[in-house]
Amino acid sequence: MKSVKMNDIKRIVYMGALVSCAPIFCACQKNDVSQDYSSTTFFAMDTVMEIQIDGDETLLTEAQQQVMDLENRLSVTKDGSEVSKLNSAKICRFSEDSTEILTGALQVCTDTDGALDISIYPVLKEWGFTTGEYKVPDEETIEDLLSDVDYSQVQVAVRDDGQADVVIPENMEIDLGSVVKGYTSQMLADYFAENGVDSALINLGGNVQCIGRKTNGNPWKIAIKSPFTDSKTGILGVLEAEDVSIITSGGYERYFEEDGQMYWHILDPATGHPAKNGLVSVSIIGTDGLKGDGLSTSLFVKGLDAASDYWREHQDFDAIFVTDDEQVYITEGVAEKFQLSQEYADFDLKVINK
Amino acid sequence: MKKNDFILIAVVLIIAFTIFAGQRLLNKNNNENNEAVPVAVVQVCGEVYGVYPLSVDREERIELEDGSYNIFSIKDGEVTMIEASCPDKICVNHPAIHSSYDPIVCLPNEVIITVQGNDDADGDNDIDSIAN
Repeated sequence: MKSVKMNDIKRIVYMGALVSCAPIFCACQKNDVSQDYSSTTFFAMDTVMEIQIDGDETLLTEAQQQVMDLENRLSVTKDGSEVSKLNSAKICRFSEDSTEILTGALQVCTDTDGALDISIYPVLKEWGFTTGEYKVPDEETIEDLLSDVDYSQVQVAVRDDGQADVVIPENMEIDLGSVVKGYTSQMLADYFAENGVDSALINLGGNVQCIGRKTNGNPWKIAIKSPFTDSKTGILGVLEAEDVSIITSGGYERYFEEDGQMYWHILDPATGHPAKNGLVSVSIIGTDGLKGDGLSTSLFVKGLDAASDYWREHQDFDAIFVTDDEQVYITEGVAEKFQLSQEYADFDLKVINK
Repeated sequence: MKKNDFILIAVVLIIAFTIFAGQRLLNKNNNENNEAVPVAVVQVCGEVYGVYPLSVDREERIELEDGSYNIFSIKDGEVTMIEASCPDKICVNHPAIHSSYDPIVCLPNEVIITVQGNDDADGDNDIDSIAN
């Protein structure tokens, strides 16, 4: 009898000891969403790429490899890329995904009546935006270069195997930089989704793509960069997002000043000069990364009125426009999900309806 | 028998308590490093180059192997890139930063400066990423 009783006490005390150990193990499990994710940061496509996924780290290695592959085939500055070969030889066989990107880009050029033009590259070079050695070219040079800018002259003969023979005119050079990152983030999102990842965040140099929601069930909170260079926080507002790409274009991204004038890298293909049509930033929210990337540039070029008209005609994406007189316009699809930051709380936020 | 049992129990409890206390202390230290004290983390070519508390004003020159350089300053809890050998000067034009979601990046030199441990600074906390 006595020994049984003793065992009971022992058991209780041992249990007590174990229970008091429990917090040790709990203490290691911080209730922090970021700990659920594997993440990587690397430099590619002339920018910083950050990927975090709720999934296996080997998927990240594979993803990085896929990005490098695409870069090697599409970078305009890499010798031996398909785009470089096309630009020097004026004829090149494009691989399957390069073809998909090229035809996708040309589609945006057509849809926007040339507000996006992938053959603007020689003009962009002349301004120094590709190298950072900025200068304002003389008007004659711009006119001369502009005469060879015309995306409709790009001939693409798609073959049965999905590859294509591409031919461009003698003085033309193309650059797919305006859509490549959008395509790439979409490709990565598809790749992760196929491999069972249901929560991920991809940021390719400011092009954001979200898969699903956060592991805690909340939507992703994506900040939209303030286009105003005197911004204290750098943040215009915050958008709640799931399963969309968010792509912002603005003059603030790359510019230089000369004689008190601000010159930025988004050129109007009609004039060969920086596009100044009243907009300072355009964000496109949608499910097609390539198109979102192309539209963020081309709607910036179009200006607020033409951009709003374009949205009304198509309605397969949402947008946030910021004008140089400090007004923010948002399409009705995302109006409820967007909030201006504290710094810009007194800005006018206007909804664009159908 | 009885005496040994109590010794064993006492030993187990002491070990448990020691580990528990140690863990708490460790966590507290980690918190101090990661959260309580905001720092600027400088990465060069994917490697951490240095970690600098925002509470101490300073100017630091980042030397790269090929002779290129970046100079950043920490002043009044904000980080600014004040000079760089890169041609485009995008990093120098970047506004001063004091929170994590908008790092200063110098692409040509592969330098990234992020601030860690200061996410609540603007009240716009919980931001996961920034589109720009």
